[in-house]
Amino acid sequence: MKRIGDPVLTADRIMLTFGGITALNQISLAIRHHEILAMIGPNGAGKTSMLNVINGFYHPQSGSITWKGETRRHMRPYQAAAHGIARTFQNVALFRGMTTLDNIMTGRLLRMRRNFLWQALYFGPAEKEELAHRAYAERIIDFLEIQSIRKTPVGRLPYGLQKRVELGRALAMEPELLLLDEPMAGMNVEEKEDMCRFILDINDEFGTTIALIEHDMGVVMDISDRVIVLDYGRKIADGPPDEVRASPEVIAAYLGEPDQGEVRAPSASQRRLVAM
Amino acid sequence: MDVVTAVFVTPFANMWSNPEFVLEVIIGGLLSGVMYSLVALGFVLIYKASGVFNFAQGTMVLFAALTFVGLIEHGVPIWGAFVIAIAVMVLLAVAIERLVLRPLVNQEQIILFMATIGLAFFLEGFGQLVWGGDVHPLDIGIPKAPLIIGGVLVNEFDLVAATVAGSLVAALALFFQHTAVGRALRAVADDHQAAQSVGIPLRSIWVIVWSVAGVVGLVAGIMWGSRLGVQFSISLVALKALPVLILGGFTSVPGAIVGGLIIGVGEKLAEVFWGPAFGGAIEDWFAYALALVFLLFRPHGLFGERIIERV
Repeated sequence: MKRIGDPVLTADRIMLTFGGITALNQISLAIRHHEILAMIGPNGAGKTSMLNVINGFYHPQSGSITWKGETRRHMRPYQAAAHGIARTFQNVALFRGMTTLDNIMTGRLLRMRRNFLWQALYFGPAEKEELAHRAYAERIIDFLEIQSIRKTPVGRLPYGLQKRVELGRALAMEPELLLLDEPMAGMNVEEKEDMCRFILDINDEFGTTIALIEHDMGVVMDISDRVIVLDYGRKIADGPPDEVRASPEVIAAYLGEPDQGEVRAPSASQRRLVAM
Repeated sequence: MDVVTAVFVTPFANMWSNPEFVLEVIIGGLLSGVMYSLVALGFVLIYKASGVFNFAQGTMVLFAALTFVGLIEHGVPIWGAFVIAIAVMVLLAVAIERLVLRPLVNQEQIILFMATIGLAFFLEGFGQLVWGGDVHPLDIGIPKAPLIIGGVLVNEFDLVAATVAGSLVAALALFFQHTAVGRALRAVADDHQAAQSVGIPLRSIWVIVWSVAGVVGLVAGIMWGSRLGVQFSISLVALKALPVLILGGFTSVPGAIVGGLIIGVGEKLAEVFWGPAFGGAIEDWFAYALALVFLLFRPHGLFGERIIERV
């Protein structure tokens, strides 16, 4: 039985606007140690914006983030990375010219101790260190079952595998908090099942706290410990999957017709138009 | 008919009849090609890491050389001048990151390109303001005597310059391919956002790249300066780097090397054997013509990363 602990990250009344559009409206949320938290909501609800605020790509106009007891308005992305927050992107952001192994190795950069000069000279300790990190990268490659594409430039890989390599790169950072932006978008059923298994295993074996955005409700209800629902930049629900699924406000706002029993992906096109 | 013979037959007949001379020309071409590689390398480094085509690269070569020669004229010993000039180029890199790149982050590439044009004019004026606009002769003690090696005439200066440039190029290529910092640089080149998300600080990377490009420019400037004297026309050497880049690909360090060698050899051979048919002086434009032909067949260069888009 896994133990979910105290909040590791809390967001307090985050307010983020772009021009006249309010992307995040007074959002407060907590991510608890060792949980899998899912953020759902229609397109344009502010899910990705929230991830971007957490790892420093966006700087909110007001509100604060507390991460491991330290409160700040915003931090830079590389500082977030240095403090143990890793992420993947909605539209796969890999280093396309590099091989799978090299991509995963970039995740080790922050763990390398030797400074610039040592690296430049590349002998002795720097080389030894490189080998140790290489071993770690290989462990991740084994874990994600991507041995066969180790030396393939990632630009050539099919989408599903690219997503997996991106997860590998994030994992190589040994993060405490892993942010996944639609890890299963565009995948077929089999690939989705693999990805679910990896996410659960990461959470289990590495003890990593995971916050993810996903549109596939089946997946969300299956793997997450807690679900947060955003709509038009507001938080409208926060709780265990069953509870959220039953919440009338969520059903009204997110799932369309109130009498629809089955949970399904968002499809109301007029909402999307408004969100654009 | 005479013209056709003069262009397509006679030059090759001449080559065939005098292979030793051809070898000499090729070696001369290789040696000057290394110098082109060196200048092209400065472009590639910056293009890779910041996606900016640095119009000011040529002026950076001039500025570095002016600083170096200016210090020597003020009685600073050569090694001192070299170290100080490196420091100046690093400071310049910091200033460029702070004053030009940082305010323009996330702007269109064309805007950054325009900024480097401005930078080029600024550096040119600033360099001449500080060190004067005269031609500064530069002699760092590289012998210039012709050498006969195995029956082939070689210019000793070219040999030394090529060795220096060659080792610098090799060191940088190794650095990029095999070290963690090199990997970070390549990562930034590929995707800024993803690079930041794995914890690579963009700003330090930019400073590193512009510093390295500055130092490469310094070495190129010293070499070209000792040959031609340090003067404004050195900054035009950068124009010769363009065909090299088109040949080698904007994103490839090995490409810059091979491209430089091909251009060097190609233009020397063309000048010596084709030149007479065109009335001479084809060395000046041959490289660009060659680059045009390349653009038709391999627009991403010999080693450039082919853009793979999934549709």
